[in-house]
Amino acid sequence: MLRLIVQRVLALVPLLFLVSVLTFSFTSLLPGDPADLIVGQQGTPEQYALVRHRLGLDQPLVERYAHWVEHAARGDLGTSFFNSVKVSDAVMQRLPVTASLTAVAALIAIAVGLAAGIAAALRPGSAVDRIATLGATFGQAIPNFWFGLLLAAIFAVGLRWFPATGFTPISTSVGGWLASVALPAIALGFASSAAIARQVRSAMVGVLQQDYIRAARAQGLSSRRVIFRHALKNALVPVVAVLSFQITVLLGGALIVEQVFAINGLGTLAITAVRQQDIPMIQGIVLVMVAIVVVVQLATDLLYGFLNPKARPS
Amino acid sequence: MTDAPLLELRDLRVSYRKRAGLGLRTTSFDAVKGATLTIRPGETLGLVGESGSGKSSIANTVLGLIAPAAGTMRFRGTDLAALKARYPSGLRKDIQAVFQDPFSSLNPAMTVEDIVTEPLRVHTNMTRAERRARAVDLLAMVSLSEEHLNRHPHQFSGGQRQRIAIASALALEPKLVVLDEPVSALDVSTQNQIINLLYDRRDALGIAYLLIAHDLALVHHISDRIAVMYLGHIVEEGPADRVYTAPAHPYTRALLDAVPDLDPAQQRARRARRRQLAPQGTQRHAETGCPYSNRCAQVMPRCRSDAPPAYAVPGGGTAHCFLLDPGANGAGHASDRKEPALP
Amino acid sequence: MTETAASAPKTVARRPARRRRASAARLIVYPALGVLALLVFFAVFADWITPYDPLKQSLMEALQGPSMHHWLGTDDLGRDVLSRLIVGCRIAIIAAAEATSIAILLGVPLGLFVGYRGGWWDWSVMRLVEAIMSIPGIMVAIVIIAILGPGLHRAMIALGILFSTSFLRLARGVVLSEREEVYVRSARVVGTGDARILIRHIFPNVAPPLIVQATLTVGAVLLAEAGLSFIGIGVQPPNASWGTMLNTAASYMQLDWFLAIPPGVALVLTVLSINLLGDVLRDRIGRGIAVPAARPKAPKRPPKTAPAAGAPGRRPSPVPAPDAVLDVAGLDVVVTAGAGDEVPVLSDLGFSVRKGETLGLVGESGSGKTITGLAILRLIGTTGRITRGRITLNGRDISDLSERQMREVRGKEIAVVFQDPTTSLNPAFTVGEQIAEILRTRAGLSRRAAMARAVELIGRVGIPNPAERARAYPHELSGGMAQRIAIARALSCNPSVLIADEPTTALDVTVQQEILDLFRDLQEEFGMAIIFVTHDLAVAADICDRIAVMYAGEIVEEAPVDTLFSAPRHPYTAGLLAASPHGATRNPPLPTIPGTVPRPGAWPEGCRFAPRCPHAAPACDAAIPLGDGGHRVRCIRADTLDLRRSA
Repeated sequence: MLRLIVQRVLALVPLLFLVSVLTFSFTSLLPGDPADLIVGQQGTPEQYALVRHRLGLDQPLVERYAHWVEHAARGDLGTSFFNSVKVSDAVMQRLPVTASLTAVAALIAIAVGLAAGIAAALRPGSAVDRIATLGATFGQAIPNFWFGLLLAAIFAVGLRWFPATGFTPISTSVGGWLASVALPAIALGFASSAAIARQVRSAMVGVLQQDYIRAARAQGLSSRRVIFRHALKNALVPVVAVLSFQITVLLGGALIVEQVFAINGLGTLAITAVRQQDIPMIQGIVLVMVAIVVVVQLATDLLYGFLNPKARPS
Repeated sequence: MTDAPLLELRDLRVSYRKRAGLGLRTTSFDAVKGATLTIRPGETLGLVGESGSGKSSIANTVLGLIAPAAGTMRFRGTDLAALKARYPSGLRKDIQAVFQDPFSSLNPAMTVEDIVTEPLRVHTNMTRAERRARAVDLLAMVSLSEEHLNRHPHQFSGGQRQRIAIASALALEPKLVVLDEPVSALDVSTQNQIINLLYDRRDALGIAYLLIAHDLALVHHISDRIAVMYLGHIVEEGPADRVYTAPAHPYTRALLDAVPDLDPAQQRARRARRRQLAPQGTQRHAETGCPYSNRCAQVMPRCRSDAPPAYAVPGGGTAHCFLLDPGANGAGHASDRKEPALP
Repeated sequence: MTETAASAPKTVARRPARRRRASAARLIVYPALGVLALLVFFAVFADWITPYDPLKQSLMEALQGPSMHHWLGTDDLGRDVLSRLIVGCRIAIIAAAEATSIAILLGVPLGLFVGYRGGWWDWSVMRLVEAIMSIPGIMVAIVIIAILGPGLHRAMIALGILFSTSFLRLARGVVLSEREEVYVRSARVVGTGDARILIRHIFPNVAPPLIVQATLTVGAVLLAEAGLSFIGIGVQPPNASWGTMLNTAASYMQLDWFLAIPPGVALVLTVLSINLLGDVLRDRIGRGIAVPAARPKAPKRPPKTAPAAGAPGRRPSPVPAPDAVLDVAGLDVVVTAGAGDEVPVLSDLGFSVRKGETLGLVGESGSGKTITGLAILRLIGTTGRITRGRITLNGRDISDLSERQMREVRGKEIAVVFQDPTTSLNPAFTVGEQIAEILRTRAGLSRRAAMARAVELIGRVGIPNPAERARAYPHELSGGMAQRIAIARALSCNPSVLIADEPTTALDVTVQQEILDLFRDLQEEFGMAIIFVTHDLAVAADICDRIAVMYAGEIVEEAPVDTLFSAPRHPYTAGLLAASPHGATRNPPLPTIPGTVPRPGAWPEGCRFAPRCPHAAPACDAAIPLGDGGHRVRCIRADTLDLRRSA
């Protein structure tokens, strides 16, 4: 297992490098000159040059990249172009909001997806299967933000069971946190649960036709044992492979759903930063998101190795 | 049979590279460790071996699908090995193939006409009508008819598909056809139909076959000569009848003894004898010396240290086994497999 | 050949579900096409059919609910919602077409190229794709839009680039798997150039999944466009798109929740229709390629109930032999095929096997030999059904046991070894665990005792270092070793009957011989009866005491092994013996049996071998019973023919 971990971690190095280059070069391609925006129409050329120098924009691209990576590695993501807020502070302040929303949505998606997928696979063509399939089809067609609007209209504005907007940190009140995150997380997780349910169903149907399942039945093992011990572990292998992708999707979706519930997470920060062309901020947000994705990917890789002995290095 | 060789392999070595670990390191593995073989025009050479023996690697190398790592491969005077698996058109059309699985060897998206005329499109300037006419002839040759032209492969049975594959392989009238387990995916009762078809065509067109198979009995039936492979080495080679009835290499003998006989009484006798002579040990590969020395029941000390050269076998052919060394005590090695020399 | 036999019932099994889906598909396809046709109609004729100018503001009429004048009400600036919705259709179509074509044009050629070329190109492009995919899609779009600036077309370029990665991966994946296919090898042997192989041979096989992916991408693009417009960086106000309308609706949620309904419903309906079409296409296309060769023609009137016992060619089932461990009598099995018809796969099957005896079931693909073993264990799934017959195990009739009682029989009294050991062992568990599990759940051993016994059994089947090997996973073992493990597992509860279904077919001959020896030794030690299913007469000659030859779902001849080989009485048996490479003389032409094995459902009336039989006579058209005694044969001319081998 240790070899697997080391191998996986090492495999992430080129990925992180590539993403940092991509992020950096893309954001450096942004049109317009931030110095222009800061100095404004009335600025003198001297002021302009000074600002450019202060922002480091007068240096060659490669040097700026090296400088940025060097600092990023130390946790310093630079300073916003617009207010002298440190990017790392701004991101760290918003991160728990987006992260907890994504995590709850992921839990919902996995739980619902697994249950529906397994139930559907056990009796293909049955009523349960058809309902689950129908639900999954709808789930993938409903935009999360619209679903969020509907949920808010019914359960927050209409029934007043949940707050319509805002976010309560878990440190303030666990109940309040749960209430504030429930509707957005359901809105966000629904589509992913549909995707996972589909994947689980098809994987499970495939596995149940395998020889080793026939062999297990021929040995007189109970159906429950055959399904939950022999089939599920194998069926989860392809599911785990899509799991990290689904979590990436959820993280992106959170940026939009946050807007519906007026939650101040990374989404608002990112949209403001794009409007203001706040390069260090955009770079910082993308990098932090990728860091989360990478950690999730590592976790799913290890889970994959646990489920699938063939994937372990020999 | 006195003509110059059609195909001549000399010390052919085929290696595969595998990415290991992070994909930065590569390890290499020799599937064929120096093979020497000759096929004369119109002759059938049966190449026999178990899985992992390297027989399919030889087929793929001759077909130019993989470039050999070392050695020469002369086809009508041209060294194919030097071409690095890039055969010019003139050469390419002389070497064709029929593969094992007729279910995957025909493109599911193409019609029978497309499949059969593909070689003609690539190598000739025939018009569409001419190609179609030729396709009808080719189908007739394999007992299919014009009405089958517009159908797709999934509409045919395994035997019929193999007929289509043969029609396509023979379209250019090649000099050599590599048959890679041509009947092992077929039903017993249809296998012989395909074999008869192949042999009818050989006699009519003068084609040479390189027949790759695992079934020695089948190979014996239809080959002029047989070569036996074990772990990348050709351990024995010779006239088909001699190899089948008087195997010289202990591995060939073990392989023959492993094939059950159709006569139950004889089979019981063979079984009793076989269990005395059964291959020893489970480790398959010997690092030095004879590749079979770890399993051989007649192993001698020198087998473990020296690689046996090719010794001539009475009755024709060669075998790599010290038991045949005329200068050693192994000369008493009997070549009649009915009465094996027990150590 | 044997895998076709094994998979035949599976193919059949999948059909009814497909059929149900096919009829359900019609219910889905037409409404979905209707929705999309309406969408296109609105998009094309938007200028003529909108009741109001979609951009005309009228603050006096702001935020009105649905009315006669404004069917869907008005928005915050008093603009007519219906008109804006109709114009939104046009935006949706433009958006979907633009982004999807960019994605395809960018992704597919690149994917085909790197997939076929491989090597360094593939490695670097795929790392790039992975990097892009590790950034949440919406963030990639946001960054690209930040570079290009907001607006519909720029947003669609962003989405096109984003979705091109999925087309790239799809095309690459198909090429990677197809280029290993034998037909591509064949094309290379023929001398077809790389470009032609890629375009003419491989691309047609990429096209079907590509169409499905394109459909699904259209749906995804619509959702993404709406999302981008919703957060204000897609379509810019005052232009109407469903996303911007929802943006407006979100701000006025407390005042007028209805604003969110029309654009939302339009969006969901459109995406739903497209996704459903994509699903149907996927099923259709999948089927187009996977059609089973020459579908069996179902008999006109399927025998839903078995013919009465007095039917011609069938004799009343005899009382089982007193010393038989397992006795099968008059067994009929059908499987549900294509149009819900039941196709017979076994008919009037009867045999018995004694303690310590090995009975061979020999036949070609489609003979029903494999399904016989499964039918005895009642493991023929939901589509297979025993319609008649009696199965007696140790004097007890097990044909009408409940599923729960049957489970007690499986493994403990009757165990199975399957053909391919690498697929019949669960890849996710060590081999020791798999044997110990049976001992724990079926024999009630403790965890520790079960593992100890498992190691003992592994040693017993001739595997060195059993304690160490018990910790291995199936993929770490050679085929022969894996089959030994499967045998150890089957014998773990000391069954009285062992069904071995082609247990040596997937193995090399030298390994086959070792496994056959193992079966023989174990039978001496454990004394179980073995039913040995095989297509190879020579293997049967080696291992069996008695052999039943099967053809087209019935036994045609049964005799002690020596008699069968020295004096076959059925022309099919004689034909098989003659055609065997061991039996025939050297050099072609080899003896052949003309024609092919008929598939279930296409069996001839009367003697099923008659159309291929050199000795067929008019009387063969009537059903023929299997005779009695030690040498049973299903041939009316058996007494007059001399089929003994001349050799």
